[in-house]
Amino acid sequence: MKCTFKNKRISSTITVVPSQEYRFDDEYPLFKMTEAQAKRFKKMMSLDRHRIAPPELCASDLCLFGVHRLLDAGVLKKEDIDAIVFISQTPDYILPATSNVIHGKLGLDHDVICLDMNQGCAGFVTGLQQACLLLEIPAVSKVLLLTGDTSSKLVDKRNRISYPITGDAGAATVIERCPEERTIYMDVKNDGSRYKALLIPGGAYRMPSSVETLELREVEEGVVKCLEHANMDGAAIFNFTMDDVPPQIRDVLAFSGDTWDSIEHFFLHQPNPFIVTQMAQKMKIPPAKVPNNIVSLYGNCSSTTIPMNIALNCSEPMLTGKHRVCLSGFGVGLTWASAVMDLGPLDFCKLVDYES
Amino acid sequence: MDKPEFYQRLAEILDVEEVKPEDVLKEFDGWDSLAILSVLAMADAKYGVSIKAEEIRSVVSAQNLANLVEAKHKPE
Repeated sequence: MKCTFKNKRISSTITVVPSQEYRFDDEYPLFKMTEAQAKRFKKMMSLDRHRIAPPELCASDLCLFGVHRLLDAGVLKKEDIDAIVFISQTPDYILPATSNVIHGKLGLDHDVICLDMNQGCAGFVTGLQQACLLLEIPAVSKVLLLTGDTSSKLVDKRNRISYPITGDAGAATVIERCPEERTIYMDVKNDGSRYKALLIPGGAYRMPSSVETLELREVEEGVVKCLEHANMDGAAIFNFTMDDVPPQIRDVLAFSGDTWDSIEHFFLHQPNPFIVTQMAQKMKIPPAKVPNNIVSLYGNCSSTTIPMNIALNCSEPMLTGKHRVCLSGFGVGLTWASAVMDLGPLDFCKLVDYES
Repeated sequence: MDKPEFYQRLAEILDVEEVKPEDVLKEFDGWDSLAILSVLAMADAKYGVSIKAEEIRSVVSAQNLANLVEAKHKPE
């Protein structure tokens, strides 16, 4: 549904990526691709490299590293954090909630609200919605929105469809009240009837982990997976991104009284460069307004592609001025969420490598 | 709809010289998930047609595919 939030802003954002970088040119033999197939795949998906977390590194570690950088920079104080919203599909544990683990590691006050949300590619915008809702509570004036996933742990390295475009990252974003007159316009939609389009069938309680769910099989040439890996109906997801998302973006622009021209930057989630290009063409948005380089450089980083996009491509302008932007996330659920808002001037906007 | 043009676009996606109406799509080496994605994108961009995932799975020949796009295509 559509909603508006008044007098709230994003004040700082940091994205953290693992330092381990892998190149498609080195990896493609893993996928049993011939050189010609690899060339075609690389060209169509504009593949180059991606960041993959080592086994011991969790999404929360990436997020926490970002929080410490914000604290060190003096743009955030521990005592000012009133709530933590952690958005992920790769939490530390089944229980407790990872936001509680982070709360403990930061040594925060007992009054701080902790909330985990299971969301994927729409997660930055749905997280922004939750942060804004929490800010409606009088005692809450600053929310720490943590988005992070180590999606590489949900696919096999020998899966030629998914692995080359997968990336791991985490981000920490501060959402706070502001005295200045500002309105965030948002629309969030869900269609649970299509939940199977992107699904991990096994490993939870509908189909508990067993020898069978862990059995790796080559389901088609160059696609190795098990029942505890992410399973995507690519054609159905493509239909979704082309049929459902552009109309929502059009609606949100109408809702906020904006036009395609009045928006300076469209920060769309980036599942792969091919889809983003198709979407931009369909909406007739000039490519210069739709940065589309995340997957080529870092991989599809789930809910973090939007803050990463801002930090990678627009850090300088966001630190110095106010910009009219449209954010749109879409994916697993299915959930699609778009927002129009003013962004900047930010206190902090960076993309950094994780250091252990 | 200009069918020869459609077959030419299909040939480009499959990276072959020519596609004939009776050709069976599954028999092309290039008929993989990338090709399917490319066909969906081509149908949307060039013909304003949204082909559903289940529809493309039921298609056998190049002609079936052309007919599917044509049936949905409304000239402007």
